[in-house]
Amino acid sequence: MTNTATGIIRALNSGIKHIATKRFTLRYPEEKLKFVGDGYQFDPSTGVGIAGLKGRHMLFHDHCTGCQLCSIACEGVAEAIAMVKVPEEQKQNKKSIMPQIDYGKCVFCGLCVDACPFYALYMTNDYELSSFSKEGLIYTPAQLAVKPYVEQDSEIIITKYGATHG
Amino acid sequence: MTAELPPGLAIQKVDERIMTLNVGPQHPGSGHMRIIVQIDGDYIVACDPDPGYVHRGEEKMAEYRNYITNIPHLERPVIHDSCNALYPYVLGVEELLGIEVPERAKYVRVICSELNRCIYIMYWLAIYGIFLGHSTMFMWPAGDRELLIDLMEKISGARVTHAHFVPGGVRNDLPPNFEEVCLRQVNYFEKRIREYAAVFYDNPILISRTQDTGVLSREDAIRLGTTGSVLRASGVSYDLRQKEPYDVYEELDVHSPVMKEGDSYARSKIPWLDMLESCNIIKQALQKMPKSGSVRVKLKPNPKGKGLDSVYKRVESGRGSLGCHIVSDGKVEPYRLKLSVGSFRNLIALPYLLKGEKLGNMPSVYWSLNYWPVEADR
Repeated sequence: MTNTATGIIRALNSGIKHIATKRFTLRYPEEKLKFVGDGYQFDPSTGVGIAGLKGRHMLFHDHCTGCQLCSIACEGVAEAIAMVKVPEEQKQNKKSIMPQIDYGKCVFCGLCVDACPFYALYMTNDYELSSFSKEGLIYTPAQLAVKPYVEQDSEIIITKYGATHG
Repeated sequence: MTAELPPGLAIQKVDERIMTLNVGPQHPGSGHMRIIVQIDGDYIVACDPDPGYVHRGEEKMAEYRNYITNIPHLERPVIHDSCNALYPYVLGVEELLGIEVPERAKYVRVICSELNRCIYIMYWLAIYGIFLGHSTMFMWPAGDRELLIDLMEKISGARVTHAHFVPGGVRNDLPPNFEEVCLRQVNYFEKRIREYAAVFYDNPILISRTQDTGVLSREDAIRLGTTGSVLRASGVSYDLRQKEPYDVYEELDVHSPVMKEGDSYARSKIPWLDMLESCNIIKQALQKMPKSGSVRVKLKPNPKGKGLDSVYKRVESGRGSLGCHIVSDGKVEPYRLKLSVGSFRNLIALPYLLKGEKLGNMPSVYWSLNYWPVEADR
C-alpha cells in the first residue's frame, strides 16, 4: 500500500517539476522554424544532393532546356509535373516548354530535382502553399521562377531549464 | 449460405449470454481495423481481428514503377518509420544491381534509421498513453518527438516522409555542423525519456492495469511467429541488428533489451528501452563515422536488374523484422515485390492474448502488440 502511495506521489511530482521548466511548444504563425540551407538542391556532376528543406520548387528559366526529365521522373510518383508552352515574351528555350507543377498532387520527394541535369530545378524553404481553389495550387513556370521570401526565426535551444524554441 | 459471407456479417447463433461487439473500424481505440470480440459480461470469450481496411496495393504498384520511383510510395505504409520501411528495399536493390555503398553513407543510414525508430516509438507511446487514459503520456512523447523530427528535417528536408535512402547510398550529405546539434538534442532526448519512468513505467496505476494481462509465453511467441518487441518481451533475445547485422551494425555495440514476463507491461516497456538503446547507437555512430567522403554512388537514370534474379533482405524496424523480397527479370521495374511486415505477424497473437481478459484491458493488450494497421494491410 505504501509502495502504491509513494509511486503515485513520485509520478505527480515529476509532473509538477514541469511548472518551472520552459515551454517547448512552437507558436506557429508568430514563430517560424529555421531551416538549414536554402532548400534541397542537387549537383548533377557529383550525383549528391545538398541538404535543405523540400518545399516549393524554384525554376531557373535561363537553365531550363525543356528536356522533360523532371516530368518523366514524376510520372511514377505523383504525376504532378506537366510540360506547358511558355508565352512568347518570357525567356524561351528551343522547345519553348517548361515544367508546371500541381501542388495538389506533389508529394515533395524531390526526385525531379535529382533528375534535372542542367541545374534548373531546385527546392526552396517555402512550405506555406495553401490556396482557396484547386487551380490556385497549380504553379506556372512564371510563378515558379520567383524566389520566395520565407521568415525563419526560431530553432530549438536546450537550456538548463529544458528545451525551447527560441 | 452463411459460410460465404465475410466474418462479422454471417448470421450467428444467438446466445443469451454471449454478445458480439465490433470495435472499429472507425473506433479511436482500434486504428483502421476492426476487432470482433465476443463477450460474456465483462470477459472476452473470443476475438477475431479483421484487418484490411487500408489496403493500398503497395506490392502491385511496385511492379509498374522503376527502382527509383518506387521509393516515395514504399515508405508510405509507416510514415513515422519511413527510413526503416524503405531500408530492406534499398538493401535488396543494391544487391540486385551489384552496387557498393560508401562507408559514410552506411553510417548516415544507421543514424537516420535509429532516429526514425525513436520517432515511431514516441508516436506509438503517445497513443498507448492515451489508450490507458494517461493524457500526460500523450502530451510528453508527442512534444519530445519534435526534437528528433527536427533532426530528420535537417538531414532530409522533410518532417515525416523523408525519401532519403536510395539504392547506392543516401540522397544528400549531412548538413554542416550536424554532429554537434545531433549529439546535443539526442542527449537531451535521452534525459527526457528517462523521466518517463517516474510518471509512466513505475506508476503503480499503470502496473496494476497492465501487469499479468495478455501473457504470451516464450513457447507461444516462437510458435506464433511474432517478431520485434513482442518476441523480446517474452524472453527471446532476437534482434536482427545483432543476429544478421546489415550495413555497419556489426561495428556498433548493440544491446537489445529483453524481458521475461511476456505480459502487456513488458511489451510496453521494451520499446522504451529500445529508444534508450537507439540513443546509444546514434552516439556511437556519430563517433565512428568517417568525417568526409562520398555518400552516394552515381547510378544510371533507369537501373536494370541482371537477368532473372531474386533477393530477400530484412531489417529490424520499430515493429520487428521487416523483410522485402524482390524478383527481377532484367527490366527496369521489379517483376514482383513482397513485403513481410512485423505488424501483421504480431497481430496473430491477439486472439490468444485476449481470451479470458476483461474488455477494459483490450486497448492496452492490442496496442502493446506494436501493431500498425496501415503497414499490416500494405
